[in-house]
Amino acid sequence: MTTAKQRHTNDFLVGITVIVATVAIVAGILWLKQSDLSGRTGDVVARTRDVGGASLGNPVMIRGVRAGTIKSIALGDKGWVVLHLTIDHKIRLPADPVVLLTASSLFGEWQATITESTGVPPDRELRAALAKARTRRDTLPGAVMPDIAQLTSVAGRLAGDVAKVTERVQVAFDDQAAKEIRQSIRHFAELSKVLSSTVTEQSRNLTQISGDVRTGLRTVNEAAARLNRFSGRADSATSNRELQQIVTNAQQASKDLVTAMTSLREAADGLGRTESRVASAMARSDSVLAKINSGRGSLGLMVNDPHLYQQSDSLLMDLRALVADVKKNPKRYINIRVF
Amino acid sequence: MALVSDHVPTTASNEAATPSGATPSALELLVTRLGANTRGMFVAVGQGARFVADVFRATADLPGWRGEFTTQARILGVDSLPIGIFIAIFTGIVLALLASYSVGDIVPPYFVGTLVQTTVTLELAPVLTGLALAGRVGANIAAELGTMRVTEQVDALETLTYDPMSYLVVPRVWASTLMFPVVVGVAMIVGLFAGWVASLLLLDITTPQFLKGVRLFFVEFDVRYGLVKSASFGAAVAMIGCRAGLSAGGGAQGVGRSATRAVVISAVMILVLDAFWALVWLTGRTIR
Repeated sequence: MTTAKQRHTNDFLVGITVIVATVAIVAGILWLKQSDLSGRTGDVVARTRDVGGASLGNPVMIRGVRAGTIKSIALGDKGWVVLHLTIDHKIRLPADPVVLLTASSLFGEWQATITESTGVPPDRELRAALAKARTRRDTLPGAVMPDIAQLTSVAGRLAGDVAKVTERVQVAFDDQAAKEIRQSIRHFAELSKVLSSTVTEQSRNLTQISGDVRTGLRTVNEAAARLNRFSGRADSATSNRELQQIVTNAQQASKDLVTAMTSLREAADGLGRTESRVASAMARSDSVLAKINSGRGSLGLMVNDPHLYQQSDSLLMDLRALVADVKKNPKRYINIRVF
Repeated sequence: MALVSDHVPTTASNEAATPSGATPSALELLVTRLGANTRGMFVAVGQGARFVADVFRATADLPGWRGEFTTQARILGVDSLPIGIFIAIFTGIVLALLASYSVGDIVPPYFVGTLVQTTVTLELAPVLTGLALAGRVGANIAAELGTMRVTEQVDALETLTYDPMSYLVVPRVWASTLMFPVVVGVAMIVGLFAGWVASLLLLDITTPQFLKGVRLFFVEFDVRYGLVKSASFGAAVAMIGCRAGLSAGGGAQGVGRSATRAVVISAVMILVLDAFWALVWLTGRTIR
């Protein structure tokens, strides 16, 4: 039988052992899982058609630095897989981020890399997969990069193709072909010699041309200097108010010119009116002359009847003789009597 | 209270003659022996099952075993910590060296951390500690109860209306079931730490590399699996030790035999349970 004191000691020892072991195990698990106890992390959601070999707890890398872990992987709607990535909320994501799931070694390790969309390898299928996974919401597009097995398979296929090509080349490359290639190389050497001498000659010409161009440039430089000086003068003229006076005068002249133009326009308008009046008078004269020509009216009769003209002429002559006689002998015609 | 007894009527002595007194034929003798052996086998299983059922039944008698629980928890658990830690230290060191030796240049060095973490957590800490405690705890319980049995202390307790199951067996079984995971949990931490130190001092592996390997495939399930397994080991070792001790007979020799039997059966049962848990929990499950 155990005494009360022994029992108390036993209770204490067992209790402290259980507490220490439990705390150590829980702390160890949290430490190994890199759990976030202080709430320093935030979630980033990505969607992809496939996750390859990625699994929970795999690292999330940004520019090659570990930034978090894959927190969950779940099947979403319409055949998508939704990944929740836990990353430190202080970390700023790249512009236009995408998630690439890649094998990080040959031993089954995978990682999720968050990178800019412009940093995605130039793989047509990969880019197409990312474009399909893109959505308007806050979900990042994701895609799986081919792992080493797929790459090896492609490399194997390429190696087969290369082997075939090599075989064909071997068939085509007989002694005759070798002789022709040797001859071609010789011709090419001669050609390159000719080309070299041509280049030397053209280089000399080019030197001459460049000298001319230099001279031309010098002239242009001088002209520019002159223009500069002229500008300087213009500047000084501006500073002495002479140019301002000229501009003022020009403004006054322009105003006068506008006034003259206005007067001229008015005169032209008056001329137009006069012209219309003359036209009207001419029309009326035409009508009068037509009547005269047609012998209508007194004037028409007088113009068209020669007899009447002669009589009028004779009358006029008589009248003129009468006037002369009156001047000569006024008393004969004018007899004034007073009473 | 019908306590366990290993006396199983067997074989030829009782079945040599037929009820009618006529000498049996050779064939009849063979069939009779086969039947007796089969019955004996089932009797052992039945008695074991009844013992387990009695433990659960006696658990209801809380005042009967509560006073002894912490005493047994200290003896079976706290006092077993040094041996658990000792085993874990050397397990961790050896594992790190073995991992480095086995995979060498084939895989990156951080896989040493992965191997140490996985093997210590899933298998070696529970099983090696379980086997060591089977020797210590199983033999302790069997010898103690066996001595009480052969010196008729158990009979005395019954005379004093103490229930030996609730007073002797239940506190040992529950103390062992609870304290085995504690010792194994500490062994896991120590084993991992020992592997880390060994990798730093004996191998060309840095701390970040080792930690990367440890974290690479670490899942909480590994620890849960190891602790649950060790709890089942603790229950099995205590029950086997109690049953072997209470069924002891024949003086000091009988006590020695029961202690030996307890250790052997406990060790075998630990391996059987290890396989059982692997089949139940690991079949169809990958580390991912």
